[in-house]
Amino acid sequence: MKMLRILIFGVVALAQLAVPATMVWQRDQTLKQGRIWKFRTAPVDPVDVIRGRYIALRFTAEEFAAPAKFEAGNKPVYAVLKQSTDGFAEIDHLTTEAAGTDDAVPVESVWWWGGKQQVRFPFNKFWVAEANAAAAEHAYVENNRRDNQNAYVTVRVRRGDAALDQLYIDNQPLSEYLRAHSPQ
Amino acid sequence: MAGVRNRRAIRWLRSQLPELVASGVISSENARAIDGYYEHDQPRVNFAFVILAALGSALVAAGIILLIAHNWDDLSRATRAGVAFLPLLIAQALVVFTLMRRNESRPWREAAAIFDVAAVATAISLISQTYQVQGTFADFMRTWLLLSIVIVYLLRTSLGVIAYVIGCVLWLFARWGPASSAGNPLLFWFLLTLVIPYVAIRFRSDCDSRETATLVITVALAAMFGVGATADFADANVGAIAYAGLATAIYLCGIKFFPQPAGRLHLLALLGGIAIGVVTIVLSFESNWHMTYRVASVPRTSAANLAVVVELLFPIAAVCLASFDLLRRRAEFSLSAALFPIVTAIAWAITHLCEFPNDRWRSTRCSFAAGTVMNCYALLLGIDILARGIRTNSIARANFGLLLIAALAICRFFDNDLSFVARGVGFIIVGVGFLVANLLLFKRRTAS
Repeated sequence: MKMLRILIFGVVALAQLAVPATMVWQRDQTLKQGRIWKFRTAPVDPVDVIRGRYIALRFTAEEFAAPAKFEAGNKPVYAVLKQSTDGFAEIDHLTTEAAGTDDAVPVESVWWWGGKQQVRFPFNKFWVAEANAAAAEHAYVENNRRDNQNAYVTVRVRRGDAALDQLYIDNQPLSEYLRAHSPQ
Repeated sequence: MAGVRNRRAIRWLRSQLPELVASGVISSENARAIDGYYEHDQPRVNFAFVILAALGSALVAAGIILLIAHNWDDLSRATRAGVAFLPLLIAQALVVFTLMRRNESRPWREAAAIFDVAAVATAISLISQTYQVQGTFADFMRTWLLLSIVIVYLLRTSLGVIAYVIGCVLWLFARWGPASSAGNPLLFWFLLTLVIPYVAIRFRSDCDSRETATLVITVALAAMFGVGATADFADANVGAIAYAGLATAIYLCGIKFFPQPAGRLHLLALLGGIAIGVVTIVLSFESNWHMTYRVASVPRTSAANLAVVVELLFPIAAVCLASFDLLRRRAEFSLSAALFPIVTAIAWAITHLCEFPNDRWRSTRCSFAAGTVMNCYALLLGIDILARGIRTNSIARANFGLLLIAALAICRFFDNDLSFVARGVGFIIVGVGFLVANLLLFKRRTAS
C-alpha cells in the first residue's frame, strides 16, 4: 500500500514538474527560433495578487480599418501579421485557419466598431520587478503618450506560438532604461 | 449503518460503563473489554495542532510566493527557471518522506500537502513571470487544481479538500468578467465531483465528526455557486427549479445521512433549511418569474443543454430522496420543505401558460400567478415550521418559521400596492405571532 502510494505520487510529481518544464521548453524554443516582430504599445498597471506586478499592454496594431465585421463563429481567430514601412507589426488580415507559421498569432477577442476591426493579442502582460514597478509604470506612461510614442515590445513568433520577449523604452530594454534613468 | 462509528455514541457508552458494572448488567471484565475495544476510536491528534501545522506550512509557502513575486531582475532567465523548481522539489521530497515515515501523522500529512500544492503554484507563477507566459487567472487555477487533487487523496488531507473546493469556486468566479458571463461551468462540476469519494470515505469512517460536517457543508456551499453559474450559462429559465432542488436536496441529505437526537438538526440540514427559506422568499417576488422570449429564440448548443441536465439533476435528486423515505414510511423531514421543488416546478409551468414578453421587465398574468403560488407556499412553509417548532418545543425552529413569515410580510410591504392599513394589520399579526409563540414555548419549557 505504501509503495503504491509512493508510486502514484511519483506520477503526480512528474506531472507537477512537467507543467512548468513544458512552459519553459516551449517558450525557450520560441524565444530562440521565433521570428521577431515589434509592436507599438499603450498604458495601464493593475496588480495581480498571485503573480506579482505587471504592465498591462495595449497595441496600436490591435485596431485596423475594415469595411465589415470579421465573422468567425465559435472558431479560434488568428491575426496574420505584416511589417509596416517603419518596421512595426501590423495586422494584414484575420483568419480562422491555424497556419502554424511564424507570421500568424492567435487573438483573444474580436469586435468591430465604426469601420474599425478591434482584436486583443494574448501577449498583453509584461511582468516587472516589484521594486521597479512604479518606476516602470512611470517610464512606460511617459514614453507612451500621443506626443511621445517611444515604447514598443518585441514578440517572437514560432509556429503560431507568440512569446513576449522584451519591452523597449526609448529603444532600450526596460531594465536598462530604468538603470540609466535611476536617481543615483 | 454498517462501518460508521458514531463518536458521540461511543463516548456515551464508555461513560455508562461504571453504572452498568455497578448495577450488575455487565461484569467489570466486560466493561474493560468494551472500553479497550473503543479506545482506538479516540482522537489521537489535537485538531488545533493539525490546523497550526497546516497554517505554518501555508505561511512558509506564502512567504516563498511573495519572495518570488518580487521577481529578481538580476538573475538570468535560466537561473530563475532553476530557482522556480527548487521549492517544488523540496516539497516533493517532503511528501515522499511523509508517505514513507510519517504516514500516520495527520499534522505531517496536512503540512506536506499544503506545502506541495503551494510549491506547484509557485513554480508555475515564477515560470510565467520569467518567460512572460500569458494566460488568465482561470487557466492558472484550473491547472493548479488538476495537479493538486491527487495529493488530497494520497495524503488524506481534509484541509486540502476545503482549499481545493474554495479553489474550484475561485476558478468559477475568475471567468466572470465585468461584461461577460462565466462561460461553460461543466468543468467546475467535474472538479467538484472529484472530491466526492474523499467526502464519502470520511463519512464512512466518522459521520459524526466536525471534520465530516465541515466537508459536506463546504461542498454544499460550492454547489450553490455552481448552480448559479450553470443557470447563467444554460440560459434556459430553469434556475429557480435548480436552486429549489439543490436547497431541498441539501436539507434532505442532512436529515437522512446525519440523523440527530429528536428535535435537533445537523448543520447540513440546517443549511438546507435556511437555503429553502431564502430561495422561497427570493422566488416570492413576481419579477423573478418574468420569462423572456429571448431564451426560446436563441439557438442552443449541446453544452448549454448539458448544463440544463445538470441543473435538473438537483430537483430530481431531491424528489427521489423524499420519495424513497416516504415510500418506506421513514420520513423524518418536513413534508412542506420537501415539496419545495415540486411547488417551484408548478409555478414555473404556470409562467409558461402565457406567451413570453420581449423583455424581462414586463409582467404577465402568469408571472403574477406564479408569484402568488410562491407567496402562498412561503406562508404555509413558515406556518408549518412554526407548528413543528411548537410541537417539538424548539424555540429556534419556531422563530425560524416566524422569521420566514415576517420576511415575506416585509418583502410584500415593499413591492405590493396594499393599503397602509392592510400592511399595518399584517405586521401586527406577525408581531403578535412572535410574542405568543415565544411565550408559549418559554412557558412550556419552564413547566417541564
